[in-house]
Formats: sequence, C-alpha cells, structure tokens
Amino acid sequence: MATLQIEKLTKTFPPHSKDGRPVRAIQDISFAMSGQVFVSLVGPSGCGKSTLLNIVSGVDSPSTGTVTVTQDGKKARLGYVFQDSRLLPWRTVMQNMLYVSDLPEEEGRANASKYLEMVGLGHAHDMYPGQLSGGMQQRVGIARAFSVSPDLLLMDEPFSHLDAITARSLREELQVMWNATKKTVLFVTHDVMEAVQLSNRIITLAHGGTVFDDTTIELPFPRKASDPEFAAQQAEILGRFETMELERTAAKG
Amino acid sequence: MSAATMSRQPGFANSSIGRALRSSWGARVTSYFAFVVAWQIVGASFFRVPTPWETLDFIWREVSGGDHGGVRPGQFWEHFSATVPRFAIGISVAFVIGVVVGLLIGSFSFVRALLSDVLLVFLALPAIIWAFLTVMWFGLGWEAPVYTVILSAAPFVAVNVAQGVRAVSPELRRMSDAFGVPRNRRIRSMLLPAITGYLFTGLRFAVIIGWNAVLLAEWFGAVDGVGWRARLWYDAARYKGFVGWAIIFIVFIFLLDGLVLSPLQRRAFRWRASPSSDLKAEVGAVDTESFTNTAIGL
Amino acid sequence: MGWAAFFGIWAFVSAVILDEFTLPGPLKVWNEILEIVRGGSWADDFLISISKTFMGFMIALIVGVPVGYMMGRAGYWKAFFHDGVVGAGSIPGIVYAIIALVIFGIGFQGPILAVGLISMPFIALNVAEGLEGVDRDLLSMSTAFGRSDRQALRHILIPSIMPFAFAGVRLSFAIAWKVEALTEVFGSSNGVGFQIRFAFQGFSIAGVLAWTLMFIALLLLIERGLAIVERWLFRWRTWEQAA
Repeated sequence: MATLQIEKLTKTFPPHSKDGRPVRAIQDISFAMSGQVFVSLVGPSGCGKSTLLNIVSGVDSPSTGTVTVTQDGKKARLGYVFQDSRLLPWRTVMQNMLYVSDLPEEEGRANASKYLEMVGLGHAHDMYPGQLSGGMQQRVGIARAFSVSPDLLLMDEPFSHLDAITARSLREELQVMWNATKKTVLFVTHDVMEAVQLSNRIITLAHGGTVFDDTTIELPFPRKASDPEFAAQQAEILGRFETMELERTAAKG
Repeated sequence: MSAATMSRQPGFANSSIGRALRSSWGARVTSYFAFVVAWQIVGASFFRVPTPWETLDFIWREVSGGDHGGVRPGQFWEHFSATVPRFAIGISVAFVIGVVVGLLIGSFSFVRALLSDVLLVFLALPAIIWAFLTVMWFGLGWEAPVYTVILSAAPFVAVNVAQGVRAVSPELRRMSDAFGVPRNRRIRSMLLPAITGYLFTGLRFAVIIGWNAVLLAEWFGAVDGVGWRARLWYDAARYKGFVGWAIIFIVFIFLLDGLVLSPLQRRAFRWRASPSSDLKAEVGAVDTESFTNTAIGL
Repeated sequence: MGWAAFFGIWAFVSAVILDEFTLPGPLKVWNEILEIVRGGSWADDFLISISKTFMGFMIALIVGVPVGYMMGRAGYWKAFFHDGVVGAGSIPGIVYAIIALVIFGIGFQGPILAVGLISMPFIALNVAEGLEGVDRDLLSMSTAFGRSDRQALRHILIPSIMPFAFAGVRLSFAIAWKVEALTEVFGSSNGVGFQIRFAFQGFSIAGVLAWTLMFIALLLLIERGLAIVERWLFRWRTWEQAA
C-alpha cells in the first residue's frame, strides 16, 4: 500500500485580471496517509480540493511545498476517477480500458474484462460511451481506475453529476470493491454523508485552502444511513462545519 | 534575418521590435512578406511565372496607361468600366430574383418540394457552363457576361433567403399567435430581423460567385472587359499580364468583400451571441452544413 | 416529385419558351448521353478527373492539416495564416485556374494544384476549429494515468481533429470538383472539363448539357457517398449527440 505525504503545500494561480491579485487555492497544507485507508477530503466548493488532487496526480504542480507518493520507496502507480467519466468518445468501452493499460494486449483484455464484470458492464465491451447512460459511463470510469492496479486511487467527486438513486447504488458498489481490494484511496467530496458512509478518515478543508479538521471514523462496514451511530457521526461532523462557518462570519464581521 | 534568429540575441526578444514581430500584427506582416518571398522563389524556378516585381511593374503600366514595350498601351480603365456595369446589373437582377424565389421556397412547402431539386442542380452547375451556354445563345457581347452572372449567383441568394425564412422558429410563430400580434408588426419584428443576416450572406455569396462568373464569360464571350483583357495577354503568351490581371481580380474582390460586404454581414448578424467559431464566422461560406444538405434541407 | 419537377420545367422551357436548338430538351440530351456512353471513353475522362481531384485533396490534406494544427495551437500562427485562409474563400475560381495554367501549362498537374489550393483553406480552418475544441479534460485524464504525449496525440488529438478534417473535405468537395473541371477547360488534353470545352468549340449545346449533367450527377453521388462514409467513420458522434 502506498504512502502519500503532503508537506507545506501551497498553490497560487495567476490573477484573473491584469491588476487583480493572485488567487490562492491551497495554503500551507500538510498531512500524510498510508496503508489500507479510505480518506475523504471534505470542504465547501472552492476550497482547493480538486486542485489538491490535480497536484497529487501530477496534472498540476505545487507553487511551494512537496507532495510525494511512494510505494515501498518507489514511485507509486495512480488511478483516477473524475467528476465526469472522461472516456474517449471515439473509442469503445474496451478500447478505453486498454488505453490506460500497460499490460500486453491479451493480458490487458482479460484484466479489463475482470473489472468491467465487477461494475456490472461485462456485456458492454464493444459499446461507445455515447451509448451508455451517465451512471454506466461513471462505472466504466471506476473500472478503469481500478484496472491499473493503482497503489493510490484518487477520486474527485465521482458521484456528484449523477442522480441521487444512481449515486447511491454506485456508492454501495464502491464499498464492496474497496472491501475486496483495500486500496489506498483519497476521495474528494462536498457531501458529508457520502464521506461518513465510505471512509475511515475525514479531513475537512476550510475556505482559503487550510486543514480545519481531521477525524477518524471507526464504524464497521457496510454502513447504513439508517443506523443511529452513522447519524450521530454525520451530525458531529456537520456540527463542526457549522462552527467553521460561524467562526468565518465572525472573523469577517 | 528572420524573427526567430533575431530573438535569440539577448535583449532583443524584449525590445520593442522583437515584441512587435511576435504580436498578431507582426505575424500578419511577416506572412505577407513570406508570401512575396515564396512567389519570388516560384517565379525564379518556373520560367512562365513572373516575379512579383515584374507583375507589379505590369500592373502599374496597365493602370497608368503606360507603355508595355510594344504597340499596345496600358488599358485598365476602359476595360474596367466595361465590366463593372455588367457585374452590377447582373448582381442586382440576381439578388431580386433570388430573394423572390427564396421567399417563396421558404414560405410554402409546396414550392419547396417543387423547386428544391431544381435549385440543387443550379447550385451544382459550374459558372463556366453558363458562360458557354450564354455565349452559344447570344454570341460575343454584353449579354453573355450579364446572364452568366444572373444564372450563377441567383441560386445562392435564393438558398440563403429560404434558410432565413425557415430560421424563424415555429415557437416564435406560435408565441406571436398566442399574443395575437398583428401581421405587419410580425413581419417587421420577427421575419425581417431573422432574414436580414441571411440576405447579406446571400448578397456576399452572389458578389463572390458573380465576380468569377463575369470574368469567365468575358474570357470566352466578349470583345472587351477585364476578363477579355486577361485572355488577350494569355493568348499573346505574355504571362506577366495574365498574372497581373489575376492579382487585380483578387484585389478588387478583397476590397469589395472586406470593406463593404463582410462588415454589413457582421452587422446584420450582431444579435447572434456566438457564432460557431470566430474564424468560420468571417468566412461564412464554410458554415453551411454540407452542399446537398444546404440545397435539399433549405 | 422534385426531380419530376426539374425535368418537367426543363422540357417546358425547351419546347414552349425557347426552342429545341437553343435549349435541347431532356430527351435529346439523354440521347446525347447515350451516345457519349456508347463512345466508351467517357469512363476514362471521369476517372482522370476524379483521380486529379483526389490527388489535389491529398495535397490539401498534407498541407492543410499541419497548417490547421499550428493555427489551433498558437496565436502567432493563427494570425500568420489568418488573412490567407480567410481570403482564399473569396478568390474567384478563374484565378486558381490561371495560377495552375501559368505554373504547369497544359498538363495533368494543373488541375491537381488548383484543387489543392482551393480546398486547403477549408481543411486548415476545420482542423483549427477542431483543435480549439479538444476536450482539455481528456488530456488531463491522459496525464493522470501516466500516458505519454505520443499516446495522447494518437488517441485524443488525432481522433478529435479527424471529423473536422473530413468535414473540410466534404464541404469543399463541390467547389473543388468545379474548379478541377474549370482548370481542365482552360488547359488540359483530357478529363470532363476538356470534353465540355470540346463540345463548346464544336458548338454542340446538347453536348455541353450532356457532359454537364453527367458531371452534376457524379458530384451529387460522391457528395452523398462522402456523407455516408462520414457517418460510418464517426458513428460514435451520433450517440454522443443523442446522449
């Protein structure tokens, strides 16, 4: 299992207009995670969650500070599930899976089939993304991320564009898949219930991109929203959010 | 020395000249310069191709009535003034016919069913065919150029006007019905604004296509005019005259298009928030789906 | 109904308004076409014209795709090629024929050059537009999964551009086919344009019409054919739009 180490990470974007000020997305964040954990990064929109994932995945680079992802001292393999499925529309489902594969052709196919089967799309190999519903496309996205056997799996609000019912069933499938594989996962969401349902640890970011809170959740899996302990845990975290908002308003006033 | 090699010298890249060269104006100027250089190279390697300087010299002599080193003096204005009325009359008639036919096709589905394939064939007919037919019908003279312009340009006006009429959405029509908007206000506020842009697009096509048509018809079937003059130089194997006239043809249409038609077209379409692409909006011609779809779908 | 109307109007104008000599009716032109077909060499002429058009398109693609790529990628090149690409649409076809004739004289290269010159801007413009519309999110997906630039080029950039390049070919086909014939009219010893010129010089109105009709029929056939090929090649797009 992989280790992710973030130290004193800051990210500033160039100003929107000529005389505007540079936009600070992340300010001096440090945390570490390793092993079989499912960590959720929760926070209001615009607090730099997605920027953080982009830096971890190498799509973006930090302004200052360091991000290291290692697997037994070597560079770790990453998998990524995006908000939208980000499938190549001109390639079939199978070709999309093979695009990210480094295995030899035959092996890659067998591997891809295995994960497509896992998300219930064993029949859809030769279909184009445009022929699938949004939920099915996102299933392919999840299968794609798992299929590269990532040491660290990054997920950026993967269910936020889906309708509530589809999102719920995908969340349950994700729990099953995680329990079977025990990958190291960094999961970004703005939905506290989703975070409580899926993760062992929840890191809350505040406006302005600083770590506000870091909590461990020790409820047994599978978790049900109807469980009173679940509700209590969710209420506690939401309570902290409210405190955060109150402090922010007070600081402004 | 090119912009690239110069900018490697320290300090130069940030100097005002270096910045000017890399600006979009710099790029444009560089492109014209590159075009002239390329022409010079082609002119030096193909014996029939005159160099830019020879061509410019020819154009000057032709326009100023100067000496071409033989019996013939430069004769720009008399041929130009023969062609322009033919072109103008042809375009005006083509525009009127095109608008009437376009309105009919756009308004009545019966007329559309009847004429869409006729129009398709007219659109597909190259101008040269009209030039040949009109020359065979009327012989050498002013008729062939004028009729060639009318026959080649009118279908393109008709197609655009018909598209404009059909672009008025049924929802807007129904809205007008629901509010009981009177007929004349409907035409003034709904139909006219909707088709103005298409009218100008049609006019622009007509001018571009008609210009080509008048040149072709004069080439094969006139005894004066700019097309005939260009042919004279071709038959005399004086290629710089031939190329010089080709340049004049291009300059004329660029001036007409760039200074008059494009601004009009853009003004008429200004209510459109965003055209599919800024480049395509300038060309206009490319924005029509496919050739047959345009004609059949109307 | 449309085509019946076309031939009906033609027959009417020929028989009633004008006369059979000025405008030969459909029947007479049909007999002329049969005559041409029986002559046998028509297939060669069309084949020659089509292959010249095809070669012209190859040149246009080879030059136009890189030019469009540069225009879509860098503001400098967009400004550099802007005037040429935008202006090319309004240059009269006769000018292309003249350029081809001056450079190559009477020969098979002229029409190829003319087709290349007239269709290149369409292709470049379309490729530039396609490139401006490339989904940046797919590129960052590619980076996140550690794909190389070459893989991204092959699987993301090129597939994004191809539909646009193809549309450029299809959109410019009618114009290119006309300019090809025009250039043959001006200077060639074979091809459809040459045959039309030949009929004109023999003062055969029926001959000109017969060749023209065959020319138009082929234009429409190829246009439809291209549309079908396009729909098949880029079938993922129809689902994309439906979804």
